[in-house]
Order: sequence, then structure tokens, then C-alpha cells
Amino acid sequence: MARHLVKLNVNGKDHALVVESTERLLDVLRDRLNMKGVKEGCGTGDCGTCAVIMDGRLVNSCLMLAVQARDKRIVTIEGVGTRERLHPVQKALMKYNAAQCGFCIPAIVLAGKNLLDYNPAPSRDEIKQAISGVLCRCTGYYKLIEAIQEAAKEIREVSV
Amino acid sequence: MTETELVRKLREAEGLAVIGKSVQRLDSLDKILGVPLYTSDIAPKDAVRVKVVRSTVPHALIKRIDTQSAKQVPGVVVVLTAQDIPGINEAYSLLPDRPLLATTKVRCQGEAVAVVAAGDLEIAEEAADRVSVEYERLPAVLSPVEAMRTDSVRVHDSGNVAKYLKVRKGDVKEGFRQADVTIENTYKTQFQDPTALEPEVGMAWVEKDGSVTCVGSMQTPFYVQTGVAKVLGVSPDRVRVIQATTGGAFGPKSDEMPIDTCAISALVAQKTGKPAILAYSRHESMIAHTKRHPFVITLKTGAKNDGHLTASEALVVSDTGAYASLGPLVIIRACFHATGPYVIPHVKTDAYCMYTNNTMAGSFRGFGSPQVHFAAECQMDELAKKLDMDPLDLRLKNMLRPGTLTATSQPVDDACGLEECATRAGEASNWRTKRLEFSGDRGTFRRGIGIALMYHGNSLGPEGNDYAAVQILIKPDGKVVVRTALTEYGTGAISGLAQMAAETLGLPIDQFELDRPDTASCQETGPTVASRVIVIGGRAAQLAAQKLKDKILTVAGDLLHCNPSRLTTRDGLIRHPDDPGWTISFEKVVEECHKRHVSLTETGFYMAPKCEFDPENSQGTTYQQYTYGAVVAEVEVDTELGVVKPVKITVAYDVGRAINPLSLEGQIEGGTIQALGYGLMEQLIHVDGIVANPTLGDYYIPTSLDIPEIQTIIVEYPGTVGPYGAKAMGEPPVDLPAAALANAVAHATGSRIFDLPLTAEKVLFAIKQKR
Repeated sequence: MARHLVKLNVNGKDHALVVESTERLLDVLRDRLNMKGVKEGCGTGDCGTCAVIMDGRLVNSCLMLAVQARDKRIVTIEGVGTRERLHPVQKALMKYNAAQCGFCIPAIVLAGKNLLDYNPAPSRDEIKQAISGVLCRCTGYYKLIEAIQEAAKEIREVSV
Repeated sequence: MTETELVRKLREAEGLAVIGKSVQRLDSLDKILGVPLYTSDIAPKDAVRVKVVRSTVPHALIKRIDTQSAKQVPGVVVVLTAQDIPGINEAYSLLPDRPLLATTKVRCQGEAVAVVAAGDLEIAEEAADRVSVEYERLPAVLSPVEAMRTDSVRVHDSGNVAKYLKVRKGDVKEGFRQADVTIENTYKTQFQDPTALEPEVGMAWVEKDGSVTCVGSMQTPFYVQTGVAKVLGVSPDRVRVIQATTGGAFGPKSDEMPIDTCAISALVAQKTGKPAILAYSRHESMIAHTKRHPFVITLKTGAKNDGHLTASEALVVSDTGAYASLGPLVIIRACFHATGPYVIPHVKTDAYCMYTNNTMAGSFRGFGSPQVHFAAECQMDELAKKLDMDPLDLRLKNMLRPGTLTATSQPVDDACGLEECATRAGEASNWRTKRLEFSGDRGTFRRGIGIALMYHGNSLGPEGNDYAAVQILIKPDGKVVVRTALTEYGTGAISGLAQMAAETLGLPIDQFELDRPDTASCQETGPTVASRVIVIGGRAAQLAAQKLKDKILTVAGDLLHCNPSRLTTRDGLIRHPDDPGWTISFEKVVEECHKRHVSLTETGFYMAPKCEFDPENSQGTTYQQYTYGAVVAEVEVDTELGVVKPVKITVAYDVGRAINPLSLEGQIEGGTIQALGYGLMEQLIHVDGIVANPTLGDYYIPTSLDIPEIQTIIVEYPGTVGPYGAKAMGEPPVDLPAAALANAVAHATGSRIFDLPLTAEKVLFAIKQKR
């Protein structure tokens, strides 16, 4: 099997890896770069729990080959907030007790963050659209949507 | 003053500090940061990956299993079959019907036949493909009604009935004689997949002393411990089971799959000496794990012209697939709730849990209740139509109220807020106006509004001994740890236990920590099922906290020179009654306790009162308390395409006491949408016993774009068992939405769909048939 040198940037840090042609981005992130916040819920691109931000777009890392991430900038949940300094989306999710089982939450945080990066004043429908690629079986999405709405408000207030 | 306002006043008078407050869950932060918590995240680097070879046919004799070619795949470390099991080859919940690995026969698709392990998953998968199993096909029975026939194919030698029970109240013949109107209909429900976002996963390794440790995604560690020990042929104390953070469960992670994942991993770990992990693929998960039982329910209902119900006769048949799992308990709950929450003097219900050669059904949030409520509530609307009555009025005329009797002749106590739920859901949804307004819809897009009511017996009732053990310990720094083998898998209930303890001890919630459920450190506590954690576990947490409080106050009394019984605790301060300024901090007293060697570890054990009833006719007390509720659904139906768009769902639940209103809303909203999926889109299709859509691309669950507006109304009629009057609320939110949606669609289109889900094809067909 062919091997490839892939340089990519994950959460602000450059990596150079030799990967096989068939290696998924998901496995590289989880197993080689230890980004365990990237989840595998189906492996077929249906559930979205493996979503990461790649050059400003939310992508399913289970459907990407590692070679497709060459020279890309990737953000995973590990690169979003810290215990001391949560991202507004994370803070709002906390406030709404929105994380139930928690399995979809990393992808929801990334979907919410990515939306707000481009659109700090999204409508409810735009929020629904932005997280529609991530399945959640616990919340019915309501608290997730409310939290992202509140995070948007916070971001707008801070930037004023 | 309404009842609810009264309750609220009473609560304020009690001066509760933590109960009833929307405090933050204790497990949020790690989840929101994406910290490695779940089983696959924490697997050892050197763990071998396990792949299971599963049956591809619904019913067959196994003539030969050839593992030679698989063993030759480079990188394979071990290939196992039933012969390699050192202990007993069993992995069942209730009836001794299911082997861990099939030996001579397979009875459904997806049954485990062999196990392959390799350092790399791809290699394990390749080798698994090379295990050749020779089957001799047997005829299969694929419908539970067919399975009841005497000449049916037998799934097990013992016959196809996994459980039968009945309810007999009054004289049903007399009841139908008194009826002016009688209707009879048959309703069908489908297999629903639980679709926890984390598929089943378990891992195991062998300790230096030869004992085995298992870590996995599960609801009930002690069941897994017993199951694994049996397979390994060792005593349970040689198996330690730890629940990792669990990415959703919804029931199926309480019965057999966690035993399978942990026991198979343990077998591999023992054979290879290496840690082993078995993580189901989504596809595998959807075939192998337990689903919601499909039901066929025939209801005959009699009523007077004024709407009063006189009789109900029900035949309730469930399809538990090839293995019973918890089917025999599911049918009990279904049987007791089959009439819906109504006063009916004459009741005859016969309920059968049937084996078929379909894949296994078992425990799933709601536990038989969504199926029977779908039937009972559609039936009420059909009756209303026949009587030309408003569906809400018909329900108001017949609903359970304090002092009435249930189908099992259990007197309904004062903790019954059903009428308030129905009335308030009706008002909030603008029922009367919309019911009238939509009835005139004639265009392509037609609106409809439907209602459904429920009652839900709390906790285990007659399903088993209903007990819980919760340990609480105070660390020298004053942090309080809640330790129990009751598990968190998303609901927030374990944080609720901390709330109970916080209220008793007079401490803020952020002083609490949750320990991991671990058979090595926790007392056996019964299963985490049946929405039991708050109701039963909460009582145990209160007891443990009270014991600690007594100790703390004894020492505090010493320090403050006061009789301990006169001291009060709140917000981390212990106060002298005579002088509000005379206080001592909780931490100070804890420090003193440690100095004096006063142990600050206590366990609370609570056992619910036994349900007294006559098992012959199922008459008497079936559950100690009930949750009640009403759901109104408003839909828009595209009459050209058949597509149903949910517009608004209004829910009102009598929850007894909201312990954490925010978390409660989360349960209600999530359950509502899981049930919306059940009502409108979800069905795991079996074709000739083979699952046709075991992927999330072909099996649809609701996305954020599928959800309607929701309005939640909390009604509180404190129950007699749960702490502070709390009632079970984990499962009840899934009981009604499908029924309310079905009634709304019938209102919009004028034609009834008798089977779930309400897909566009069925809606279109129903509309066309009417024309």
C-alpha cells in the first residue's frame, strides 16, 4: 500500500505524518494525534459525531482520507476551549444542562462555533441548519439550539 | 388557587435550597470539553481488536464452523468458538434461552457464532470474513401472530410463548351488554432502534492475580459482572466491572449486549494475555442489540351513548424476536397499561410475549408503554368519532382521578394530576379553537390536532425487588462524593442524587463529585432501569446523607455547645438556633470529625414497598405511584405527497416534584423527539428475518430540522414513594407523542392509520382510500 507524507495543522500545531492511502482522517486524529474528542458513531457519514472544522468548514472526519487533509487547518474540540476559558458555546451548553450523554457534544460545539465564526447573529433556522449534520438522541436539540442562541448573544455583546 | 400553585407555596414554605432548582449537572464540563471519557477513548494502546462473526440467516442448524482460513490471516491472534468458553455458554437476562456463542443452531440474524481478534481492526474484519459457517436452513416464523398458531415453526423447544399474562376485572361480557356503542380495531407497531450515539463497546484485561477487569458502555455493572463470571467459569468476585461514561443507552444497555461485549473481550483477554476491546460497528449494533418490541394489539371497546366506557377487551401480542431478553417484563407493563388511563368497570386483557426468528427485542425506554398507549389513544379517538364527541371531552369523562380504580382495580390516590395535565395541555395548545378550525380544512395542506393521555407505573412494580444503595462520603477537604452502581448514561439522574444529598446536608451542589460505578467499590444496587434513579435511588441517597448529617451535627453540637437536634444546616453553614451569627462552617466540622476519627462514609439502602396483587387475574396494586401526562400534537399534512409536518407539540406531565426543572425539560424534550421519530419515521425493517436498513443512512432518526415547536408544562402532585414527591420522568416522555401525532393526522385527513410509523406512503394511501 502506498504511503504518503501529509503535513497538516491541528488546533494550531503543525504535524507531519506518514499515512497510508486508506487511512481515515478520523483514525489519524483519534489514534495518532490522540484527539479523543472526535467520536465515531457510525463510520458512514450519517451521525456527524466525528465532525471537525477543516479550513472553516464542518466535515465528517470518517468520510475524509488523511491524505485529503494535506496542508489543511483542522480544529477539533481539543482546540476550542479550556477548563478555565470556555468558548461561549461551551459556556451556554453548560448553563442549559444541554450535554446529556455527551457523545455528540464535541461535534455540536464545533458546529455552533463554526456558525458563529461566520454569522454572529444567526436565526433559529440558521442554527438548526448548522447543526443538522450532527445527530443527537438525548436532547431533541432544543437545549442545544437555545445554548447556541445564547452564545451568539454573548459574542455580539462582547464584540460591541 | 390551583393545585399547582398550592404545591408551589408548600414548597416555598419548606424552604428548600437545592431541590426544585435548575442547578448544573456535575458531569457537564468534561463532556463539553471533549475529555476522553468513553470506553474507546480510554482503551490501552496495546489492546487487541475483536470482531464477531454473526449469523446471516434467521433460522438454521450449524453444520460446521471452519476457522482454519481465518487463523492463517497474518496478524490474527486468536479465533474462538463456543468450544473455547471455559465456563457456561449463556448470556440471557430472564429465560435461559440465549448462548453467548451459537453452537448447533442459530435462531435469528446477527447471532454471535465465532470471535476473531487481531492487533488491527481491519485484519480482524478480514479474518472474520474468512470464518466459514455452513448452515442448514430451517423454516422461520417471522410474525408474532403466526408464532401463536399451534402448527407454527418452534423457535425454542419450550414453544413460542415467552410469557403470557392477563387482567380480569368485572365481567367483560356484561360490560359489552351495557354498551350502546362497540368498536374493535387492530393496531400495529414497529421495531424501533434505540440509536444511542455511542454503539455498544466493552473491553477487558487480565490482572496480575488472574482476575479480570472489564470496562464498558452499560447501565448495570453488576449484571455484567454476573454474566462475565458465568462465561469465564469463575466466581463474580474475580471479575471487576467499571462503567465508563456511556454515550446513550435508552434501555438496551441494561440487558444482554454489555454482557456480550465484556464477556467476549474477557475471553479474548484470557486467551491472549492482552487487553481486548470489542466495539460494535453501527451496522452490527443495529442488527445485534435489542430494539423496541413490535406489537399487534386488538382492542374492543364499549361505551354508553353519553361516552362513559363500559368495557375493554384487549389482545396484546409482542414480538420479542429469537431471544426473550426483557420481553417477559415488557409484556407485563404493556398488559397493565393496555386500557390507557381510564376508568373501565369491565376489563379483559390477554398479553403474549412471543418468540419469532426476527432479531431480538428487549428493554427500551417506555418498556411496552408507548405501544399500548398508541393503541389505546387511537382507540379513544375512534370512539369519539363514533359517538360524535370531542376527543378531549370523551377523555375528561373517563379519565383516572383520585378515588377511581385502574384496570387492575388499584385505587388511584390523591397524587393524580391527569385532569390538570389534560386541561392545561388543551388550553395551551388552543385545542377547542383549533379542533374546530382545522376540521374545515379542504386544501392541499391540511392541519390537524390530536391529543393523547397517559399513566405510567413508576419503577419496577411487580417486575422485581425494587431497591437501591447509594454511598456518600465526605473527604477531608469537605468535598462530598456520591458513589453508587446506579449509572449515569445521559439523563442527569445521578446529579439528581447529589441534589438529594446536598439538600439534606445543607450544602451547595458544586461541593459534590460523582464517583465511577465500579463493582469493586460499590454495593450491589439493582439495575439502572425503569426511571428508578431519582425515585428509588433518591431515597437511598437521602438516607445516606441523613446518617452523615447526624454525625456532623453531633460534632458540631459539641463545638457550638448546643443540642445537635436544634442545629440547622444551609449553604455550608451550621447554625446555632439562638444566635444567627453563631455559625460554624461545614468544612471545619468535617476537619474535626477526621481529627476525632469519626467515619464520614455512609451507605443508604432503600427498598420500595412490595406491590400487593393477585397474580392470577392481575388485580391489586401494580405500581406504588404513577406519572400522568397529556400530549397535544398539531400537524400539517401535505395531502398530495402524504408528508406529515409536525407543527407544535404541547406536553403536560404530572411529575410529582421537579427535582431539577432544567434537566427535567431536557428529558421531556429529548423523549418527545425520540417518540416523534417513532411516530413519523423510524422503523427497523425486517425482510424475511433480515434487517433491511441497519445504517443511519437508511434508518432515519429526527435531525434538528425535523423538530416542531414544543411547549412543556410541569404539573406537580407529589407522589408517595419518590423523594420530595418526585415521580419517574426518564421514560414517560416517550409514551404519547406517536399516539397524539396519529390522532392529529387522522384529524387532518379524516382517515385513520392503524400502524406506525405514519410514513408518507401510508398517509397517501389512507387519504386515497377515503376518496
